[in-house]
Amino acid sequence: MGERRGRFEAEVLVHLDAAYRFARWLGRSEPDAEDVVQEAMLRAWRAFEDLREPDAKAWLLAIVRNCAASLHRREQRRGHVPLPEEHGPDGAAMVAPSGDPEGAVTELEQQRVLRRLLAELPEDQREVLVLREIEELNYREIAAVIGAPIGTVMSRLSRARGALKRLGSPDSKGEPLVVR
Amino acid sequence: MSCAESLRVQAYFDGELKSGEAGDVEEHLTQCVPCQGLLEELERTRTTLRRSLAGERASPALRARVMRALDAEESPPARARRPRAWHVRPFWIGALSGASGLAVAAAGAFLLFTAVSSNAVLEAVTDAHVRSLSSRHLIDVVSSDRHTVKPWFAGRTDVSPPVADFAAQGYRLLGGRTENLGHERAAVLVYQHGAHLINVFSWSARTPLPAQAVRSGYHMVLWKSGDIESCAVSDAGWDELNALVGLIKGVSANDTPH
Repeated sequence: MGERRGRFEAEVLVHLDAAYRFARWLGRSEPDAEDVVQEAMLRAWRAFEDLREPDAKAWLLAIVRNCAASLHRREQRRGHVPLPEEHGPDGAAMVAPSGDPEGAVTELEQQRVLRRLLAELPEDQREVLVLREIEELNYREIAAVIGAPIGTVMSRLSRARGALKRLGSPDSKGEPLVVR
Repeated sequence: MSCAESLRVQAYFDGELKSGEAGDVEEHLTQCVPCQGLLEELERTRTTLRRSLAGERASPALRARVMRALDAEESPPARARRPRAWHVRPFWIGALSGASGLAVAAAGAFLLFTAVSSNAVLEAVTDAHVRSLSSRHLIDVVSSDRHTVKPWFAGRTDVSPPVADFAAQGYRLLGGRTENLGHERAAVLVYQHGAHLINVFSWSARTPLPAQAVRSGYHMVLWKSGDIESCAVSDAGWDELNALVGLIKGVSANDTPH
């Protein structure tokens, strides 16, 4: 293994899981997300010399976003693109949980509701939320990934969080958590 | 969440404020009930999101695929040339055996084509061997137990080679994997012998191949058992490689056919 390959694996390939998760939440089905990630890794490999940041994560996720966008353009004719919430662990269709008289919302139900809410967010809000909460990027990094000013990042983040705020709150138990 | 400070509270929560500004927000929070509620909400949403979604990971298959794509990228000629040569082989062999009347007239051509195609096979095997050493795709099923490895091959490869561990003789079975060699799905057993790794490839025999060869400095010992062609590849010496092949042949001889 060459020296360049070793550095690439240590700096970029370590973010493979993040790249995959981000591709999934950009609205890619599992196989599509895998194609996107492979393409993104190849582009990252070819552009590795251009990497200036000490942390490659945001850089890689920006490439993933570009790859997903070009796949999306190629695909638009094909129509429907399933989101991760439609591929639950048991493959069941997504439904809002019905009101439980005792008010117990199971972990699994909550997870499904969460996925659904997230999937139903406008994409520009969803990506910002995922980058912040799941991938733990800071505002500056998120702004770089999506190519928008920090103020835009903040307002999208705020709106996305507003849409999810009832989730997990004690008074939401037993109510159907459907998006308004 | 109607307070004009809500975006600053959010920035405070995200750790984006400098200490002076953070102090201002903390002071505001002691007086503003809606902002206190907002802060709690932000925390709850984050906890739920991270607990349920941050654990999702890329599959081992995707990881292997990316590694192989990077390998191919590192050595572009191997990708462009060799699989194509392999792909051509069955066509020539089929054409020649079907036209047996022409075989004598085509003897010269036959030798040439055989040389080309066997060379393609040897190169494909060597490529796969080198890839397995340079990437992490050395072993798909880790086991020294033949009862684990042999069934694992079923359905994944075109052949079912004998599987045995020879740790007592100095050849430890590490596990197995599959390799696509052109259109063939080869079964590969991985042995360790001292500092050497030995890959033993098996696939359906079609092309006449030499008993031994050297490619890119690697020793290759080849043999046929029934309709299975096998090839042991390593940087180990000839004697060491032949000893392993002898052991494997001993097992094949005792294996009841099925």
